[in-house]
Amino acid sequence: MGEFIVKALDGVTLTINRGDFTAITGPSGSGKSTMMNLIGCLDTPTDGIISIDGEETLGMSEAELAYIRNQKVGFVFQQFNLLGRINALENVMTPLLYSGIGVKQRKERAKVALERVGLADRMRHRPNELSGGQKQRVAIARALVNNPSILLADEPTGALDTNTGLQIMELFEELNAEGRTVVVVTHNLEIAMKAKRQIKVLDGKLEA
Amino acid sequence: MIWENIKLALKSMASSKMRTSLSLLGIVIGVASVIAILTLGQSATKSITQAIVEGGLEMVTIFPIRTEKASKEFTEDFGDRLMSNVDNIKTVLPVNSNNAIIRFGQNSTNATVSGVLSSYAEILDYESSEGSFFSLADNMAARQVVVLGSEVAKELFPDGNALGQFISIFRNQAKSYQVIGIMKEKDASFNLQFNSSVYIPYNTYAQRFIKPTIVGSYVVRVAEGADALEVSDAITEYLDATIGTDAYRLFSPASLADMAKQITGTFSSFLAAIAAISLLVGGIGIMNIMLVSVAERTREIGVRKALGASPWTIMGQFITEAIVLTITGGIIGIGLGTLLSYAVANIVGWSLHVSYASFLFAAGFSTLVGVFFGWYPAMKASKLDPIEALNYE
Repeated sequence: MGEFIVKALDGVTLTINRGDFTAITGPSGSGKSTMMNLIGCLDTPTDGIISIDGEETLGMSEAELAYIRNQKVGFVFQQFNLLGRINALENVMTPLLYSGIGVKQRKERAKVALERVGLADRMRHRPNELSGGQKQRVAIARALVNNPSILLADEPTGALDTNTGLQIMELFEELNAEGRTVVVVTHNLEIAMKAKRQIKVLDGKLEA
Repeated sequence: MIWENIKLALKSMASSKMRTSLSLLGIVIGVASVIAILTLGQSATKSITQAIVEGGLEMVTIFPIRTEKASKEFTEDFGDRLMSNVDNIKTVLPVNSNNAIIRFGQNSTNATVSGVLSSYAEILDYESSEGSFFSLADNMAARQVVVLGSEVAKELFPDGNALGQFISIFRNQAKSYQVIGIMKEKDASFNLQFNSSVYIPYNTYAQRFIKPTIVGSYVVRVAEGADALEVSDAITEYLDATIGTDAYRLFSPASLADMAKQITGTFSSFLAAIAAISLLVGGIGIMNIMLVSVAERTREIGVRKALGASPWTIMGQFITEAIVLTITGGIIGIGLGTLLSYAVANIVGWSLHVSYASFLFAAGFSTLVGVFFGWYPAMKASKLDPIEALNYE
């Protein structure tokens, strides 16, 4: 299969293929946040079907949705949403903890992910000891660590200055080049242009 | 996972130390008072029973009451009858006692004069320091000989040299007795004041001192290895059946110790139950702080859910935090309670008897408090909607 079929938001059908780099744009209130929540399995549609890797989320329990999020989705947020009391490495290890992976492997895989985003020397730092760009890199490492089917970024540059934002987008481009499926939700058209494919949401409908 | 949860809980506790310690206070005070009460209760029981046991657990004393029926039953052969009807009795010693003034030269003192058999000293492990206790022959011949308790000896013969001297015992008229022995000091067994007594042969007492209408008391020595409590119960049963409940009084250190144990046991259980109420109050404090903690960390809960934490996982995290909180309080409380017991026992002069069972009880109870009062906040956390939680400011 290898497809994401989203049929949502007033009769919308959207397919995201494996290896895509898609930007979902639209003004606030357009429905793009709802779309992101649906793709990320944080929410289920009142009507319609969402299928990730061939698994339909309709009628799933909270625990089953949590499992899908853990295994298939890597979230990156505007406000980073790192856990403040633990260091970068432990933050990146957290999704693996919920997968039931042993501590030794958790640490190894988290290190690899942090090295991938260029933060090998910041592993023991707590979030408040990191710059905004570094925090977002930790968040990306955390999203990557469980090898999800999709990287889902909600305004990932929204809290960063232009330069840092562009660096983060470059990182997404690299990750996409490595074969990862990336979806970026943003209202910033310049950022959206970094993606291979742009989808506009307006009033709950898709515009080509 | 459990270990991760414990680490998280400790980190969260460490992040707001003041709040953590204040919310722990209730549990700490509750556990400390339960521990102190149970420990001190046990120590009190131990020291009270020890005082009674020192008097000789293996003795049971029967005091006949001067009634017509009793005077028929409590005769010279009562001991033989008792022994053939109740098991595990080594000996029954009849004793007659009365107070009298005793004089040697210018010295005089008030003492208990006891007429006893020659085997009395040996059976009660009562040893002489000078001379010896009187013999069977002394008793048979009703000789006017006397053995002095240590205090009496000191009063009458401050310079020693008592053996062979003649002392006067006054009762209506003075009679003189020759001192043939002085006894070592011996702790009083609640009804036997050894040191302030003098002993004369049983027959001498009856024939030459006071003719008793009824035997004053019987000292029953329980057979070695037998349970004194059972024997004293058996004696009570036998006497009640044959002579009647109002014809005698029975003193048994074993049953006294048992009674003391029951009274202090009931009393300290009662106090501990009251102290346990403060544990309940402490538990409510824990619930309060956990609710605050869940509200504060709404966003964190949202993030964890987005990363794949199931409702049960979140529940586990917060329940663990509540349990770690209460167990920490429990451990501090156990330490504090033990310290407090130690201080009180030191002041009052009891030997401290630490009750490890109460440690287990306190630890178990505080875990239970954690689970019980942590349940609702943890459930609240687990049911949070991930989208709302993520957008919580």
